[in-house]
Amino acid sequence: MNYTINIGAHSEGNVEVHKYYSGTVVLTSFFALVLQAFLHKYGRWSELVDLPLLVTIYFGVSRRNPVSGLFLGAVIGILQDALGHDSPIGMYGIAKTFVGYVASSVGARIDTEHPVSRFGLIFILFHFHQAVLTLTARYLLNQPGAFFTPRLFIDSLVTAGFGVAVFSLLDRLRRPS
Amino acid sequence: MVGIFSRHRSLALLAGVVLAQVLLLAFQIKRDHDVRLIRYWAVALTTPAQRGGTWTFSKIGGVWTGYIGLHNARKENEQLRSELDRLQLRNRELETEAAEAQRLRLLLNFRDGHSEAPMIAAQVIGASADPASHTLFINRGEHDHVRRNMGVITPDGVAGKIVEVFPSTSQVLLINDKDSGVGALFADTRTHGVVKGSSDPDPHMDYVVNDEKVSAGETILTSGEDRIFPKGLLIGTVSAAAPATPFQLIHVKPAARLDRLEDVLVLLSQQELTPKEAGESSIVPISGPLSALPAVQPSAASQPFESAPPKNVTGAKPTSTQAGPTKPAVSPAREQTSSPVPSSSPR
Repeated sequence: MNYTINIGAHSEGNVEVHKYYSGTVVLTSFFALVLQAFLHKYGRWSELVDLPLLVTIYFGVSRRNPVSGLFLGAVIGILQDALGHDSPIGMYGIAKTFVGYVASSVGARIDTEHPVSRFGLIFILFHFHQAVLTLTARYLLNQPGAFFTPRLFIDSLVTAGFGVAVFSLLDRLRRPS
Repeated sequence: MVGIFSRHRSLALLAGVVLAQVLLLAFQIKRDHDVRLIRYWAVALTTPAQRGGTWTFSKIGGVWTGYIGLHNARKENEQLRSELDRLQLRNRELETEAAEAQRLRLLLNFRDGHSEAPMIAAQVIGASADPASHTLFINRGEHDHVRRNMGVITPDGVAGKIVEVFPSTSQVLLINDKDSGVGALFADTRTHGVVKGSSDPDPHMDYVVNDEKVSAGETILTSGEDRIFPKGLLIGTVSAAAPATPFQLIHVKPAARLDRLEDVLVLLSQQELTPKEAGESSIVPISGPLSALPAVQPSAASQPFESAPPKNVTGAKPTSTQAGPTKPAVSPAREQTSSPVPSSSPR
């Protein structure tokens, strides 16, 4: 089912809001978290991709609702923190809350269906996510952190490329309009 | 407020969710000295408020105590000042009463100690307006059986004699008045003389020949020859003595504080007083050969002077152990011409 919403003065046209089968968002998020934790056992290469971040961005952009986007980001982030062992609960939660909010806000304004725009969006939101993490670590945990490193750049490229593929797969979970 | 929230609902929710997670983080994170960040923040948040509250309350308290409370303080200060004045006045009254009670107690003890001699207590109620005249007025008069030429004493010593009697008051001529004269003798040498007033504040003792050795501090007693004061009452002490013509110039310091008399005793007779208690300094027992001299008859002396004047003992001369010029008799009292040894010259 498709419908349109008025997104205000910043957009002149109508933006399509996608709907998913019930449980899709929950199951996908859960699967991403489990897979991220599962892959973490097999080496540091799994750190190249942040699957919960990709899920947060995808559903935020697709549903284009800032409220649901920030809550989804918060839940996924807190669960990601809970599955970790060295970070206090709330670190990823805060970062993904912001990412979910920004992604849903951006998705209501620009076309996010094209792979290039998705790549760019994921790349930017990756670094935004990293920036929030670094700020939180610096000012709350009093720990050093870098906003940008070559490794982070590589991670962002890998995540963005992998995200374009993941987004295509997730598009198949949409309800037909 | 609600309108702003509904208009920016998503932004407000974002802030709320992030804030909740920040608090969650702060609850877990521990900073220096193992203090949780939430507590660190709470203290950091509340301390300025507490400091501000303390500052505010201190200022309010300062305003209250410094300005508003000052009104009450001023009123209270005035009340306290008034109370202080009242209490100071009351204190002075009590001190005066205590001093008066002390004086009266001394008088009472003195009178009780000499019950054989009739006497009445009197209060000094006035003095002469003439600065050269040393006279007083007492609150006892004819109604109290006071008569002329009665002796007036204090527990310390001789004060003067009655010169005028009115129905309820009397005038007392003090021994330092220039018209006064008291028959006297030295306690040690028994040399007789007359204590008279002079232009000096203190009286002199006249009619003591230059050959008589007189030293400062010698005690002077009444001799009883003036028929006013009984023998042996303390008059005073010698303060200075110097040879002069024709008699020594002897300055006498009266034992009674003549300038501060407030309560006195009027001797209703010339009955001799005998010391009955230690410390009765105004009565010195006669000792030595002179103690054998005949004393005034108690029966006659016990009568009031004007009602029963003493017998004429004309020719009685002051006894002196040293040879010297003949001493004149003490000048008679003006109203008691029959008295051979009156105490003072007429006023």
